[in-house]
Amino acid sequence: MLRHLTQFYRPQTVQEACTLLEDKTRKNVPLAGGTYLTQIDDATIDGLVDLKGLQLSSIRADSGGFRIGAMTPVFDVATSTVLTGPAGALLREAAKRIGSTPLRHSITVGGNLVGVFPWSDLPPALLVLEAEVTLANAHRKRTIPLTTLYATRPNDVIERGEIMTEIHVPAMPTGSKNGTAFIKMAKTANDYAIITVATRLTFNGGIISAARIAINAPTRKPTRCRDAEDSLKGKQITPELLAEAGVRAISGIEFTPDFRASKEYRMDVLPVVVRRALEQAAKANA
Amino acid sequence: MKLQLIINGERKSFEIAPQELLLDVLRRNGYKSVKKGCGEGACGACAVLIDGRVRNSCTVFAAHCEGSEVLTTEGLGTPDHPHVLQRSFVDHGATQCGFCNPGSLLAAKALLDRNAEPTEAEVKEALDGNLCRCTGYVKRIEAVLDAAKTLKKHQ
Repeated sequence: MLRHLTQFYRPQTVQEACTLLEDKTRKNVPLAGGTYLTQIDDATIDGLVDLKGLQLSSIRADSGGFRIGAMTPVFDVATSTVLTGPAGALLREAAKRIGSTPLRHSITVGGNLVGVFPWSDLPPALLVLEAEVTLANAHRKRTIPLTTLYATRPNDVIERGEIMTEIHVPAMPTGSKNGTAFIKMAKTANDYAIITVATRLTFNGGIISAARIAINAPTRKPTRCRDAEDSLKGKQITPELLAEAGVRAISGIEFTPDFRASKEYRMDVLPVVVRRALEQAAKANA
Repeated sequence: MKLQLIINGERKSFEIAPQELLLDVLRRNGYKSVKKGCGEGACGACAVLIDGRVRNSCTVFAAHCEGSEVLTTEGLGTPDHPHVLQRSFVDHGATQCGFCNPGSLLAAKALLDRNAEPTEAEVKEALDGNLCRCTGYVKRIEAVLDAAKTLKKHQ
């Protein structure tokens, strides 16, 4: 419970919200879907700034790709008819695997990205799509690649008085074939992931021109598997190549154990899950 | 602080604290169909419809719902005039202890409001957040599919 909460703000504009969050005399924190903030015990928070009134819930497609408002419930992503093609399919699948139906109506895209929760299944999908996020404060806006957000922790990148307003998923390169896949390995349909893997393969004339692999859950933060990605570039698909990329996906990854699975188990399983996700994505070239 | 809701079609005002959960405010004000199960968003016993969306009221701040339309099972039907879904749950034996029923019924209603002819897979997905430890899940799926047919006939 937020024991010392005294204020619940309902700003109607981004500027109003950011001004409240900038206030150095008190601890105001932004509220999105609330699945985290309703559960914690914290006596340091003075005010909640509800972002619901900011009109940040929308999914749009244009020639540049997809634009998703940060307050869009992940249920809307999972069931969107706007999100089409290999990028859209990946986003829908990832969103569908977050929590359960009632939670997907609460959890927002922005909250899922900023919080890095055990139920953050969207970051790997958005990482392989090379998404950018827009951060706004009361005075200006800036757009950064999602990889920058996860270079450290999102809260080290997002400044005081800043909120995420939009996620931009760039359109796939024209003249290429693109395949994507998303695999969440969990004990039950609704449980937190043991391993989450997203992949994207871009083919030009049968050759892999770009490979993206990102994982979450076994690591402290969503992570790109750059070694494995590099091993695929410029190659033609063979079963051995994909298996080798799976093995390489482990390198540089810091696994965190929990009661669901040990570090060792995750280490053994990750290459298999990555290989399967690459095989699925490779179907685009068939 | 004051909270204004349109609850089960009625405009009402409640006195709340800023950190209170919707679940606690509803129960305190007599909406006892809303059950407190796990209290952490895992079981769905406290699910209500907020502006047509099924959400766990234990993971929603009451203050977040200012001006929203909230539907609890009290607003779904009465013992004399049960909703088609309630009738169907009884007919199919999709109720035993009854604790999960309010949440399951509202999750089912949210589905049928969006999709009048759901497939079995769609029913399963729509109810994936509502644990039922008595009936074993099969009966309530049959109940929702049957209710969808009945609703269609009545239209």
